[in-house]
Amino acid sequence: MRWTALLRTSTLPGALLGLFLLLSPGSGQAQSKTVVHFWVAWDPQQADAIAAKKEIAAYEQAHPDVTIDVQNITYDALHDKLITAVAGGEGPDISWGLPEWFGELYRMGALMDLSGFEQHWAARPEIYPNVLKALTIHGKLMALPHYLGIRALLSHADMLKAAGIAAPPKSWAELIADSKVIHQKLGKPGFGIAGTGVRAPQELIMYLAQNDLAVARPTRDGKYRNTWNDDKAQLARAAQVFAFYHDLQASGAISPDASGWGWEEEDTDFALGRYAMAIDGPWMESREAQNPKEMADVEITAPPTIRTPATFFEINPFYVFKATAHPQATLDFAAFLTGREFQQAVHPQNSPRMDVHSDNKWGRDFMTLAASGVVFPPVPLAGITRDMEDAIGRVLLRHETPQSVARWLGQAINRDLRQSGELGSAS
Amino acid sequence: MRGVTRLPAAGLRWPAALARRATPQARPAPVLSRAAQRRRAALLYVAPAALFFLVLIAYPLLRVLWLSIRNANLVDPSVGGFAGWDNYATVLSDDEFLSSLWHTLLWTTLSVTGEYLLGLGSALALAQPVRGRAIFRGIIIIPWVIPIVVAGLDWTWMLSPEYGVLNLWMVKLGILTHPFYFLGRIDSALLTVTFVNIWRSFPFYTISLLAALQAIPTDLHEAAALDGAGTIRRWRVITMPHLKTVSLILILLHVIWTAINFDFIWVMTQGGPLAASETLPILIYRYAMQTFDVGAACALASMMMGGMATLFFVWYYAARRRAAVA
Repeated sequence: MRWTALLRTSTLPGALLGLFLLLSPGSGQAQSKTVVHFWVAWDPQQADAIAAKKEIAAYEQAHPDVTIDVQNITYDALHDKLITAVAGGEGPDISWGLPEWFGELYRMGALMDLSGFEQHWAARPEIYPNVLKALTIHGKLMALPHYLGIRALLSHADMLKAAGIAAPPKSWAELIADSKVIHQKLGKPGFGIAGTGVRAPQELIMYLAQNDLAVARPTRDGKYRNTWNDDKAQLARAAQVFAFYHDLQASGAISPDASGWGWEEEDTDFALGRYAMAIDGPWMESREAQNPKEMADVEITAPPTIRTPATFFEINPFYVFKATAHPQATLDFAAFLTGREFQQAVHPQNSPRMDVHSDNKWGRDFMTLAASGVVFPPVPLAGITRDMEDAIGRVLLRHETPQSVARWLGQAINRDLRQSGELGSAS
Repeated sequence: MRGVTRLPAAGLRWPAALARRATPQARPAPVLSRAAQRRRAALLYVAPAALFFLVLIAYPLLRVLWLSIRNANLVDPSVGGFAGWDNYATVLSDDEFLSSLWHTLLWTTLSVTGEYLLGLGSALALAQPVRGRAIFRGIIIIPWVIPIVVAGLDWTWMLSPEYGVLNLWMVKLGILTHPFYFLGRIDSALLTVTFVNIWRSFPFYTISLLAALQAIPTDLHEAAALDGAGTIRRWRVITMPHLKTVSLILILLHVIWTAINFDFIWVMTQGGPLAASETLPILIYRYAMQTFDVGAACALASMMMGGMATLFFVWYYAARRRAAVA
């Protein structure tokens, strides 16, 4: 073949390649604006997302040299996308995320040390001290608070009344007894749980804390360890927690299918009045608009306990990434997100700021429980939370004894800690 | 016209002409033979495809093999170094490995068997000269063109014990006394996903087998019928031998596609409940994205890759031997 023919035939692909390069992002003139890549996981139809978009647009208007590139990704996909993007050096500048990912991202060395920023962070004095403490690792602030998802017992007061129950239960025993009565009189389960998904370990850690147990405790060598199998009393209390799950199922307090429920079923079924009580968060306020009739009678009280008042304290963070190309612009934007104006507009009921609160029941009644909140330890949690889910399944689906499940979970957590390099010594 | 390169002298190729012009003292480049020119042009045309193969297929595969003998953790940058066979040992000693392997075998065998039987039955039915045959042929392909995620979510909702229409119908028809949580029970989750997979995949068998059926000369059947062969005998000695090649290819392809399938199970059960529907691809994902043990994930992926490649080569050489004997 002649070179002329070769040149002729390669003209079209060459032209296409040139066009592709010309149109590809980053080509052409250098952009004059600073672009802050912000990953979120909001439902665009919900009020908080609408308010947030409005606030971000106003921020861009006030900072004409900055563009906020918002990427909306569902929570289900956000974890894997964040981990792989950060590992590949293509992460965002700042992102939403679940508190369960805090340890993983810290362990990866992906998070920016915000100690310097903290010193002149205007919102700092207004943030709840225990919230800041939960976001601090080895004395360094490693994430910023986004919103609080404190859990409480939500009850349909009319259903309780119809079953002849005067007040929501305060103990596990009362919860089971009341649920049995509701089941007998109304033909509906009295209580709802999440047996799978992200909500299941959040509920389990609350019940464990109510029985003075931690998933993992700090050790002297600066790491973490599950100590249930080192201490008979702790193991017995852990078994008591799994016996509670067993009793909920055996007594008919929960639906027989609750072992497979995730947060969607738990929230939707409660909002539809398909059962009377659930441990849930302030976001259920949005269900009032969707199911006004069924949600009108909802009461919010402290979760029933066995020993110590405790609830799960979801301190939802903003993760600021160390690899950002624009640290100052990113931190300025982070300061805006934790500022009073943004928080008042977007999270009036569940802000981590003490000066932003709502006097309705969704704000007031949840915030009174903040002091009894417990959080996950700052270690890689993906394996641990899955084992916690499995532990619930072992009780509800495989009907293993609570003692054997408690023993198994203690061992499994330590195995996970060993795999992530976080297992501390026993002494 | 100034500045325009003149054409080379007759008989000279472009490179030779250019070389002579650039270095007049140098020895003239040897003139390539026609065969060599063709080979060079062929190499040039193959180069982009070869590059794609190297970058998109060979490199990732070799990288997986390499990482399978390395210590690698996605969230712990301090982990590294040569691991030898440790990652393979980690996989083989995992409590969930054998159950996942069993689930993979069950899922693959039941899926491919069900798909083949349903595909063959529907292909034979659609090969008959019935009225509206063209419409049925069009309709039957629908499950196969639905994206897996959409099909998986649809079936998940239809099977839901609270809101699922299938549970509602089965209770109303008296098949069930109360709604059954098909995807939430240890003993039914994998079978349910397998059923949905069969539903989605059998149309591919239908159209492939139907095409093979239509290629069978009708006079073979007519001659056999005249000789007194009944329907079953004609099906056994004429139809099935004609379907043999396409059947083997279909089965081989689907054994591989089904064994390595991740999305259907992930969308419907995520391998649950309690790992009851966890197959090897789900276990690979768990190693990589839940325990972040990339070394173990790559070791298991390499083992699966080896298994699938062995299956393919055994089939390929057996087919070649059969062809040679024939």
